Amino acid sequence: MVSELGETQRNDIILETKGLSKLFPIRRGFNPFARNQPRYIHALNDVSMKIPRGMTVAVVGESGCGKTTLARAITLLSPPTSGEILFDGQTLTGGKVDTKSLYRRMQMVFQDPDSSLDPRFKVKDLVSEPCRRLLDSDREEIHSTVMQSLKIVGLSGYADRLPGHLSGGQKQRVAIARAISIRPEMILLDEPTSALDASVQAQILNLLIELQKDYNLTYLIITHNISVAEYLSDLLIVMYAGNVVEHGPTDAVISKPRHPYTIALISSAPIPNPWKRNLLNIEIKGEVPSAINPPSGCKFHPRCPYAGKICREQSPGMVEISPGQFVSCHFAEKTT
Amino acid sequence: MSLDRKLLSISDLSINYQTEQGTSLAVQNVNLDIGENQFVAVVGESGCGKSTLALAIIGLISIPPARIESGKIGYKSVDLLSLKENERRKFRGTEIAMIFQEPLTSLNPVYKVGDQIAEAIMIREEQNEHLESAREIGIMQKTYSSNDLAVPPRFHLPRFSSSNRTQAILDALKLVRIPDPEQVIERYPFELSGGMRQRVMIAMALSQKPALLLADEPTTALDVTTQAQVLKLMKTLMSEVNTSILLITHDLAVASQVADRIVVMYAGDLVEDSDVYELFREPLHPYTKGLLSCIPSGSKKAKALKPIPGTVFDLTRPSTGCKFASRCPRCMDICRQKKPALVETKPGHRVACFLYGE
Repeated sequence: MVSELGETQRNDIILETKGLSKLFPIRRGFNPFARNQPRYIHALNDVSMKIPRGMTVAVVGESGCGKTTLARAITLLSPPTSGEILFDGQTLTGGKVDTKSLYRRMQMVFQDPDSSLDPRFKVKDLVSEPCRRLLDSDREEIHSTVMQSLKIVGLSGYADRLPGHLSGGQKQRVAIARAISIRPEMILLDEPTSALDASVQAQILNLLIELQKDYNLTYLIITHNISVAEYLSDLLIVMYAGNVVEHGPTDAVISKPRHPYTIALISSAPIPNPWKRNLLNIEIKGEVPSAINPPSGCKFHPRCPYAGKICREQSPGMVEISPGQFVSCHFAEKTT
Repeated sequence: MSLDRKLLSISDLSINYQTEQGTSLAVQNVNLDIGENQFVAVVGESGCGKSTLALAIIGLISIPPARIESGKIGYKSVDLLSLKENERRKFRGTEIAMIFQEPLTSLNPVYKVGDQIAEAIMIREEQNEHLESAREIGIMQKTYSSNDLAVPPRFHLPRFSSSNRTQAILDALKLVRIPDPEQVIERYPFELSGGMRQRVMIAMALSQKPALLLADEPTTALDVTTQAQVLKLMKTLMSEVNTSILLITHDLAVASQVADRIVVMYAGDLVEDSDVYELFREPLHPYTKGLLSCIPSGSKKAKALKPIPGTVFDLTRPSTGCKFASRCPRCMDICRQKKPALVETKPGHRVACFLYGE
């Protein structure tokens, strides 16, 4: 089955995932006794979410929580092991998908522009690549698209440079110009500013907001930086050890986090205020558990101050705790 | 801070790097004093010279490509820059210790964690005993029996597993609140998580009870919850061990959380130096103000970020005026002609900008 991703349908939910899981098998050595027991890294575990059109959704969590795997699964760069992805109502899983037509509508910006931009390509060739690969434009069209995209990101006059001659922020602008060059509906941004300095990060964040207004883009932003997520996003998804532990409107989740992990995560984000030294009052102990042998029940229970017997035995389901805010915790009622 | 309690006193320090693009002025005429038991954060963007400054203090800067153009680094009553390498080594690790950004590259992957901490402790012991061999302790840290190696090692150290030394290692690990230290000493660095590795580095550095700890982006590679744990630990240990900390960071938010004093650097210049509360109450330098308005806090609807226009100053370019002039919203004619000097506007608050002072 090849699903055609035509423009005819217009759903309010541009992207939906249902029970997405991703397992990475671990290659064993030559131990003959270990051969028959395949082991896996549980990178994503039953992730369900909905992204409304025109919104910015941020996925936050610490390294190893599966946020990049999620982005790679959605873009089919590393297809999920199980679960379903619906883009504009059409399934991307279970069958052959016309990735060309998908990428015409969904683009990605990667974390490190040094590895996502070919050092031997000129800026104009980098930016024109999606046009050349995905659209049947002629030279003139390509040229004008490239020039326009570069103008939008503020890099007119840089078309003939090589990435090596650009600064970190400029490189990330090239990556953004490339993503918007074919006017996608949705862009996935994987840590778009984590390699950048503070003053440049602010420039890129504001550029992203402007682009969204001008082109009605939907963003899925993967970040470990809660301040960046708070600044950009309308909806927030918090992940821990491959699971979504809490999601909801950003304001609500930030001001009233209900999952003990979200509470810990938000209180360990440094705030630029010497009178409010939240970092020195944090309570959370321990570190992210192994993804190979994840803890039983709720994966957060070894670090959780509220953990009880049930947390070790059963993994909690998602409960709507306030309008639009969902929490996966047995004691969600108690945590405020 | 009275003058007699000055621990480190840097005066007029200039360091440049010889690169293919020309001479890059990494640190220019920096004057900085650090008192005893003070937590100072040096904040700036990449390429502002903050790491070069730390490396120069501990004497790990490689010359060439670096060259120390001028200046003094006074530690207690000694000018570190005038010392010979073997004299300098006596300070390194024992008086001034350093922890780095990526613990995996500073820990040796082929030795167990316990052995690496033992090395630090042994060097201290041997120095205390004024042993001649102490100077020759290089990277070799374990004792080899001659059967193990075809080439016999140049010197022999006592095995660390004598009971007091094991106790000293365990104490060092307990100091940094590592759970199950008995198990951790038998592990290799790759078996530990990032936060644990950084704690081992801190344990190694603090096992020497240094008077000054240089921390170069110690939490940048760590997750936020781990970062919070490590910073909290550093802050508590500072008073326990009675050490001063010089924290190098790009993150003003992190600095505001832990430091007593903040030094802002831009393109090799020290542009502002102030008590942390004073700096956040009334930042003076336009760069500091810009940096503060670049930190996202709250939603875009509530407060839009005001990025600093332009890009960081190219260090290889010769400059006559203020290096921030091209990006400065309040740039005046004089800013392009003359370099502003660091002036004290209030006791303990220094700024290098023509808007203040003469």
